[in-house]
Amino acid sequence: MDFSVVFNEAHLKFLWDGLLVTLEVAAAAIVLSFILGIILGTLRYTRLPVISHLATLYIEVIRNLPLLLIIFFGWFGLKEWGVELPITMSVILSMTVFTSALVAEIVRSGLNSVDRGQIEAARSQGFTYLQTLNYIIMPQALKRMIPPLVSQFVALIKDTALAVAITLPELTHNAQIIYNKYPVAAIPMLLFVALIYFVINYSLSLASRRLEKKLAG
Amino acid sequence: MILGPSGSGKSTLLRCINKLETISEGELVVDGFKVNDPKTNINLLRQEIGMVFQHFNLYPHKTVLENITLAPIKVRKMNPEEAKKIALEYLKKVGIPEKADAYPSQLSGGQQQRVAIARGLAMKPKIMLFDEPTSALDPEMIGEVLDVMRTLAKEGMTMVVVTHEMGFAREVADRIIFMDEGQIMETGTPEEFFNNPKEERTRQFLSRILKH
Ligand SMILES: Nc1ncnc2c1ncn2[C@@H]1O[C@H](COP(=O)(O)OP(=O)(O)OP(=O)(O)O)[C@@H](O)[C@H]1O
Ligand SMILES: [Mg+2]
Repeated sequence: MDFSVVFNEAHLKFLWDGLLVTLEVAAAAIVLSFILGIILGTLRYTRLPVISHLATLYIEVIRNLPLLLIIFFGWFGLKEWGVELPITMSVILSMTVFTSALVAEIVRSGLNSVDRGQIEAARSQGFTYLQTLNYIIMPQALKRMIPPLVSQFVALIKDTALAVAITLPELTHNAQIIYNKYPVAAIPMLLFVALIYFVINYSLSLASRRLEKKLAG
Repeated sequence: MILGPSGSGKSTLLRCINKLETISEGELVVDGFKVNDPKTNINLLRQEIGMVFQHFNLYPHKTVLENITLAPIKVRKMNPEEAKKIALEYLKKVGIPEKADAYPSQLSGGQQQRVAIARGLAMKPKIMLFDEPTSALDPEMIGEVLDVMRTLAKEGMTMVVVTHEMGFAREVADRIIFMDEGQIMETGTPEEFFNNPKEERTRQFLSRILKH
C-alpha cells in the first residue's frame, strides 16, 4: 500500500485544515447541545404544564428524524427561507438541534434515576422544588449521565462527517477531495482518516472512564 | 407513638403532618399552621418539622457533615461556621463525631440512621417525625438508634413515631395511637393501651404481636 499521497506535505496541511473544521464544529455543537439539552431535559422532567409538553414535543420530533435531513434543513432549507448562515454555523446549528434532543433524554432519565426518597428527604427539610433539583437531584444525576453523554458526544464527532453531503470542508470531505484526484490513494487515505477519528474518540472514552472513577470515589 | 398493622395508614398519617402526602379532605393544624390550606407556606412549616425515614435517605453525594449543614445553610440561611458548629454538636449527641467527614455509604445502617436524626435535629425543629426508623436495621443496630430516641424523649422533644417496637413504645410513649384500615381506632396511655385495650381490633392486634 502506498501512503506517499497521504504524507505529502500539502495534503497533510489540507487534512489538518479539515480536522480543525471538524473539531471546531464538534466542540461548539457539544457545548451548545449540552446546555440546551440540560434545559430541555429538566423542563421535560419537571412536568410543568405546557412548558414540559413543548419540551417533549421538540425532543420527540427531533430524535425521530435522520440527522442528515436536519443538516439539509439547516443548509438548503434555511437558504430557501432567506437565512444565509456560513456553512460552519449551519452545521453547528443542525448538530446542536439534533444532539440536544438526545442529551435531553439522557438528562431526563438521569434525573428520574434519583431515588424518590432523596426528594422526600429534601422537601421534608423545607427545600423548595428548585433547591431540591439544584442541590440534591442534579448533582446525583450528573454523575450517572457521564457515560451516556460521552457516547452521545462521540457519536456527534463521528457524525460531523455527514456534512460532506453539503460540502462542509471538514476532515472526511478534504480527504475525499484528495483521493478523488489520486484514486490509488483512496484506501490509504481512508485508513489514515479512520485512525484520526479513532484516536480522538477513543481518548475521549478513556478520559470519561477516568472521570467516572474519580467521581465514584 | 403510632402503632398498627401493615397497610393501616400509619405512614400516610405521619406524612400528612408535613404534607409529603396530599390531603384530599379534612383539616389538619400543626403548630398553628393549617397544613391542608393551599395558602400556607409549607416550606416554612417544614423547617419546624424534622423527619426520619425508614431507609435513612441521606444525601449520598455529601459528607455526613454536609448532610447535616445543607438545610440549615440553604434553607435557614445560617452562616456556615455556625451550622458546622451545631452539626458537630449533634453528631456528638448521636455518638459518632468521628464520622463527620465520611460519606453515608461508608457507614453502617445504624450509624446512617443516627446521622439522619442529627440532620433532622440541626434544623432545631419543634417536632420530629419518625417512620419506622429501625425497620431497615440489623437487630444489633436497633438498640443504638432507640437509645438516641429515648434520650430525645427524655429531653422533652415532641416526637411522632411510627414503630413496630412494642417494648420501646410501651416504655417511651406518652400516648399510643392505634390505626387500622386508614382509621384511628384507639388512643390512650401505654398503660391503658397494653393492659386494658378498649377495642376488639386492638386486642386482636396485641395478641398477634405479643405472641412472638
Ligand atoms: N386515611 C386514608 N385515606 C386514604 N387512603 C389511605 C388512608 N390511610 C391509608 N391509605 C392508603 O393505604 C395504603 C397503605 O398506607 P400506609 O403506607 O400509610 O400504611 P402503613 O401503616 O404505613 O403500612 P406499613 O406498616 O407497611 O408501612 C396507602 O396506599 C395509602 O394511600
Ligand atoms: Mg409505613
